Amino acid sequence: MDRREKRRVKVLKEPIDILRERQQKEPEAVAKERLERLVRTIQLKEPDRVPIILTGCPPGFALRYAGVTGYQYYYDYVDGWKAIVKFAQDFPADSLFFEVGVEGHILAIAFPEIPEFMAATAGHLTGPMHDILRDKFSRFPGRELPETITTVQFIGGKFMEAEEYEKLIDNPLEFIRENILPRAFESLRNLNSHEARVALVKTGVELTKIIQCMNTLSEKLTKLGYPIAPLTNAYCPLDFIGDFLRHVRYILVDVYRYPDDVKAACEALVKPILDMALSVKAVHCFIPLHLNEMLPPKIYNEFYWPYLKEIILKLKEAGLTIWVFFEGDHTPHLETLLELPKGWGIAWFEKADLKKAKKILDGHTCIMGGVPTNLLLSETPERIEKYVKDLISDLASGGGYILSTGVADIPPETPVANLRALINAVLKYGSYG
Amino acid sequence: MSLSEEMIKAIVELNEPKAIEIAKKRLEAGEDPLKILDDLKRAAEVIGEKYEKGEYFVADLVMAGEILKGLSEVVRPKLRELGVSRKIVGKFVIGTVEGDIHDIGKNIVITMAEAAGFEVIDLGVDVPPQKFVEAIKQHNPDIVGMSGLLTIAIESMKKTVDAIKEARLRDKVKIIIGGGRVDKYACEYVGADAWTNDAAHGVRIMLKWIEEKRGG
Repeated sequence: MDRREKRRVKVLKEPIDILRERQQKEPEAVAKERLERLVRTIQLKEPDRVPIILTGCPPGFALRYAGVTGYQYYYDYVDGWKAIVKFAQDFPADSLFFEVGVEGHILAIAFPEIPEFMAATAGHLTGPMHDILRDKFSRFPGRELPETITTVQFIGGKFMEAEEYEKLIDNPLEFIRENILPRAFESLRNLNSHEARVALVKTGVELTKIIQCMNTLSEKLTKLGYPIAPLTNAYCPLDFIGDFLRHVRYILVDVYRYPDDVKAACEALVKPILDMALSVKAVHCFIPLHLNEMLPPKIYNEFYWPYLKEIILKLKEAGLTIWVFFEGDHTPHLETLLELPKGWGIAWFEKADLKKAKKILDGHTCIMGGVPTNLLLSETPERIEKYVKDLISDLASGGGYILSTGVADIPPETPVANLRALINAVLKYGSYG
Repeated sequence: MSLSEEMIKAIVELNEPKAIEIAKKRLEAGEDPLKILDDLKRAAEVIGEKYEKGEYFVADLVMAGEILKGLSEVVRPKLRELGVSRKIVGKFVIGTVEGDIHDIGKNIVITMAEAAGFEVIDLGVDVPPQKFVEAIKQHNPDIVGMSGLLTIAIESMKKTVDAIKEARLRDKVKIIIGGGRVDKYACEYVGADAWTNDAAHGVRIMLKWIEEKRGG
């Protein structure tokens, strides 16, 4: 292209393109800015601009964009994870949040002595681990699902009967190790078998491999100016029972039919969950909530919040930054968050009324979210820009707001121009001062 | 309070043992089982209203669904014995769309729709577009419901509506989509006739469609 054309391209360059170039040229400076921006926001101080976090749990958009199948992504840590790097390169954000497998915390909780479970995948099972352990609660692309599908499915299961609450309460870890693992993992159906020993040793080998690949990925992201900090995971006990032991369908009925058992079980699970989360040295702890939205305040306040609060406080004491995803509409339970110390962490809301959340939590809790994924999927770049502009003017004053999608993924069919428009709008309208 | 009112109250208060006990008592006293079914419909309506007002939550609906299911099971043998059946207001095919396996919402809708008098054909979860098309051909429903929680479910709903269009069945059915992440953007994108995050609201839309269809 001649000089005039070059100049024209330069004029057409959008904020996102300037940032893309900059993060490659000055990764260290960009990483420092990003980290400071996030830290100040969580501390409820005004940063230089509203931070944006982009997500890939599941990574559908990034995979489609990079031409990687779900099977490659979940099974091939080298070629599959290139999709994350390509995404990080072309859609610069202040932080990225990608999953590499399906929630496998029923295994991680049973082995708090082995930090590798949390260090490798924050307790998730990758494709090869799914093959080795033959768990019954997930389905993977290239196995039970077509190779091209871009998400793993967590189908859960009922691995415990209502009559067994007493055993769970009595000694949760022993019950999980002896009774649940053999039911949830085909390869562990007889714990004293050669088959089970082989599966566990192979799992250990796989974890080492994942950690190596994770380190390589971190190096690549560091070169693109992304601050890297190790993450661990924790659960609210009632979610843990619903996801891994009883299935959501039964736990919701159990709270009415066997209230005392459920409460005692929640209490008994607090320590094992903390031991799992703290088995590895991390900086952040992510807590995805599931049942919160479904519970009436009376049940939330009795069965859910006291134990979640205890876990958050203990993790905070251990020096972690807590990051909670409030699935669904958390509006009815917002006030309970004020029981936590100021600046406790990030509250990421899927559908809560964020204006109301801002009003209640202003100066107390950093809020994250605001962009419905269907907006990205179906609207025009112009309307997305307008939406983001309004969102920032509603929520960003005084700091304490991270812009992100309401859920942890970007729809695979999202037009590239729309995602660019989202980032551009944050860069354009997000500055403080 | 009559036994009928007492039973409705027990259901609405989610008092499962009491509701079952009263239903059994009424059947033993020789009461018309269809009347008991009408009470289930009434109870489901009250529970739905409470959900819409924000007094009840999904957990309450799931528990209510369990109670209604238990009560229908109590009544069913009697219906069979008497050789009577309930008048069907309309036919409704529902499924969780391809790629998604969440069925809490779908099951609540089914309970509510059945209580309202719909014949429900449940296609289950992870239902491919073609299976919806075949079900429409086979059952000739008035309404098709698509459910899903995952973000990718929206794309599957669109593909399913497209497949129904391609099979030239689109004008034979009304389509309603529902689920936690369904919204007005999704409804337009998918090409459905209505959307909802609320089972009771959804069933009301469906009843209105049936009324329009029978009336016109």
